[in-house]
Amino acid sequence: MIELLNFAIDKALSLGSEYAEARLHTITGEGMNLKNGQIEPGISIDSRGIGLRIIKKGALAFGSTNLLKKESISSIIEELSKQAESSLNTIKEKVELSDFKAEKANWSCEEKEKLEDVGVDRMVTLLKDLDSNIIEGAKGFPYQSRILSVSKSVEEKEYLNSEGSYIRSRVPRVGFTSYLSGVYDGESFTVTIPPGYSKLGWSGGWERIERGPIFELTKEKAYQLTKILASKVKMDSESVDVILGPLISGLAAHESVGHPQEADRILGREAAQAGESYLNPEDLGKRVGSEQATVIDDPTLEGSSGYYLYDDEGVKAKKRVLMDKGIVREFLHNRATSKKFGTLSNAASRANSFNREPIVRMANTYVEKGDHSLDELIKGVRKGILMESFMEWNIDDKRYNQRYVGLECYKIEGGELKEPLKHVVLEITTPKFWSSIDAKGKKLEFVTGMCGKGDPLQGIPVWTGGPHLRLRGVRVWQR
Amino acid sequence: MAEVIEGEDLKRLGEFTFKEVSKRVDDASVIASLILERMVRFSNNSITVTKKNENFEVFIYLSKDKKRFLGSTSNLKEESLKNFIDKLIKACESSKESEDYTPLEKAPLPFSEHYNFDERIAKGYVDLVDLANSGINSALKWANRVAGSLLSLTNYSYILTTSGVERDDKATQITINIRAFTEKEISGHGLSCSSNSRGLDVEKAGREAGEHALNSKRRGNWEEGKYEVLYSPTVSADLFQHIGYFSSAYAIEIGISFLVDKLDSKVAVEDFSLSDSALVYGALNSRVFDDEGYVSGNTKIIEKGLLKGYLHNLTTAKKFNTKSTGNAGIIEPSPWNLIVEGGNSTYDDMVKSMKKGLIVTNNWYTRFQNLREGAFSTLPRDATYLVEDGEIKHSIAGLRITDSLPRMLKEIDEMSKERRWIKWWEVEIPVLSPWVKVKDVLITKAEG
Repeated sequence: MIELLNFAIDKALSLGSEYAEARLHTITGEGMNLKNGQIEPGISIDSRGIGLRIIKKGALAFGSTNLLKKESISSIIEELSKQAESSLNTIKEKVELSDFKAEKANWSCEEKEKLEDVGVDRMVTLLKDLDSNIIEGAKGFPYQSRILSVSKSVEEKEYLNSEGSYIRSRVPRVGFTSYLSGVYDGESFTVTIPPGYSKLGWSGGWERIERGPIFELTKEKAYQLTKILASKVKMDSESVDVILGPLISGLAAHESVGHPQEADRILGREAAQAGESYLNPEDLGKRVGSEQATVIDDPTLEGSSGYYLYDDEGVKAKKRVLMDKGIVREFLHNRATSKKFGTLSNAASRANSFNREPIVRMANTYVEKGDHSLDELIKGVRKGILMESFMEWNIDDKRYNQRYVGLECYKIEGGELKEPLKHVVLEITTPKFWSSIDAKGKKLEFVTGMCGKGDPLQGIPVWTGGPHLRLRGVRVWQR
Repeated sequence: MAEVIEGEDLKRLGEFTFKEVSKRVDDASVIASLILERMVRFSNNSITVTKKNENFEVFIYLSKDKKRFLGSTSNLKEESLKNFIDKLIKACESSKESEDYTPLEKAPLPFSEHYNFDERIAKGYVDLVDLANSGINSALKWANRVAGSLLSLTNYSYILTTSGVERDDKATQITINIRAFTEKEISGHGLSCSSNSRGLDVEKAGREAGEHALNSKRRGNWEEGKYEVLYSPTVSADLFQHIGYFSSAYAIEIGISFLVDKLDSKVAVEDFSLSDSALVYGALNSRVFDDEGYVSGNTKIIEKGLLKGYLHNLTTAKKFNTKSTGNAGIIEPSPWNLIVEGGNSTYDDMVKSMKKGLIVTNNWYTRFQNLREGAFSTLPRDATYLVEDGEIKHSIAGLRITDSLPRMLKEIDEMSKERRWIKWWEVEIPVLSPWVKVKDVLITKAEG
């Protein structure tokens, strides 16, 4: 397809664009669902097309087509060129791109067992095994309704721009989610494994899911949740120490460090949809958290859902330290935002499909681990709560006012774990959250999420992760 | 290799695919579609990007020996499409028989028509850049910084099924969403949505955003506790769209809805009625057929407070011993456009009747702790006003609403006659929704 991509670039330049890029973007995959032991209709996708982006006299235009022929490409480029011209009179901020090293590369993610060799029958077998596993783990507890899903997909890109980048890539991904619902002792419930509407997901071949921790985790979680769902324990609103599990520390890292440090939000580009940031452009170096608060975003983590080695502007990926011992250290940039900040892109530009423009996104965001075991963290608490996982959560559009409603919670008294309880609410500001951390666990865990941003909305695969975090003296209440 | 598609020839694409599929399976539904998306985005009073997407797609549902599979592809080279169909049929054959299998059938009624198509939108004759600038300038009369997006969408579709359905359809929509700021964290929101370009009012959207941004400058304190809350149509639409999802028979079947086992029960105050319609004039998401080729139409969900029905496809209808409502989704029936009946009040009357209340003009991030119970929280954003003894005192910020949908429906106090179509970033299902006043809503704030 290089010929078609070259044609697109040449056409855009011939019409007066100072910059052009073309991305052939393909996603193929299959998903299977199991409903109460019965197979639901499988789903197969084959999404393929070309996304085109031009800058003409400082005006940015994006377009796409899935008719992969010169006439269609030519027609779209002509229209984008006209659109850019028509918006020139009203553009007050011209789009310029920062410098970068244009490279030619062909990278892929390791895939020991090729996903294309995995048939529907194996996906069905996996689902049935996992369902049996959950029933066994539940030990008679009535998960009356069970929906389990597995998916496999391969994302391939061929990217060319007018500054000499030519990048080809291939990322296979696998994932698992589940919903369990029912009524127990007169109370109805809906929970997910993993909790928080999350997903267990990896980049790589089928071996990642079939030989991963999925069997152990589903069985264990199916059992643990029975104890929680049966709990009638009540608590008052109070200020106590709270230990948060990796699911919550990872989500907090993503929602209240990653998002507010996206440079396009800080500059106001996403103001009307995903929102802005409580941080300002001059806030690099500002203290927001304690010495324990170090948050990383790293696209190069092998096996991660957000794995990539070059972003969708051809910039080489690297680990980004967003918050370093409580200090805001780095914003997430593409080439346009980094130009405005007088810096270089740190390769955060991603698009989820051929028909979506690349924008500033996270990859795999996590809290750096500490040196405590969970037992040590608990021993250091006289009165408190362990909130291992959540279901409900949200955060305001400047990423300041966040809330997590616990699913698996336990009282802690005198340094010991006590009875389980549910629906504990932690509602806290971002600085209060990150400045209250006094110790961290030494085990890092990740789950997969689909991060939503952009207009039209783009869901993009990420990992969120972290260790257990201990927060001193924060208010919690029970819903 | 020849392209299957030439220009906008969906019929040819549909027929080619259907011919390749139908002879090898028991049931098939093939929908060829073309989606034309044009967008202008703006921020900091300036256009940031213009977009044009032209995407053809084929959707295929097939069943063979009671095994079922779905697929969609935009890879439309003839050989690629044939390969995709081969793979889909092979995948279906490797799957398992389903107890839920239901043969496709033709509805006993003829297709109705909708008139939600505007040639000017479809042909790209609407000057989006000019409209976006009008919206920006309108908001700037009150505010100093404006962001937003203007989207026009055209959907052409053509269906063929083994149950004998062959039909085309086309629909358009145009929406603008504007956020205006007077200070970094003081903002207002406005929008306008229509199925045709004449119905879009960018000036009004800009004016509402700007006025709210200006009116919010007078900010004051507030306390946690219970309030009467007046939700704007934008907020009520967000909350009611979830009732639309919860009324899907699939959500009922798998137990992730608070409407389980509630048919013919009182689930809302007597003044509340909610229906789904694919065809009503002005709706933004119209189509005369669903994914099974069944006739889409109007379905009563809640009538005068009583739960009257769920949304069905052929599979769920068989399970529930009823008829399809034309809402397929093959796996999951889903709403087309939700219509909330208006009340008898005006906005002014509702504000005047509030002793200690809040007016919430926009929200986002509605999330559920327990889908079966409908317990949620959501975050007001942009302008929120504190009302005391019928008068707006000042704007407030940093609050969160904690409630549950079943409680809310039974605590609706008043609704406005005025209704508006709402669809924006946070409201995916178009909803025709009024101002809604709800009693005793818990409002909390974050610590720190």
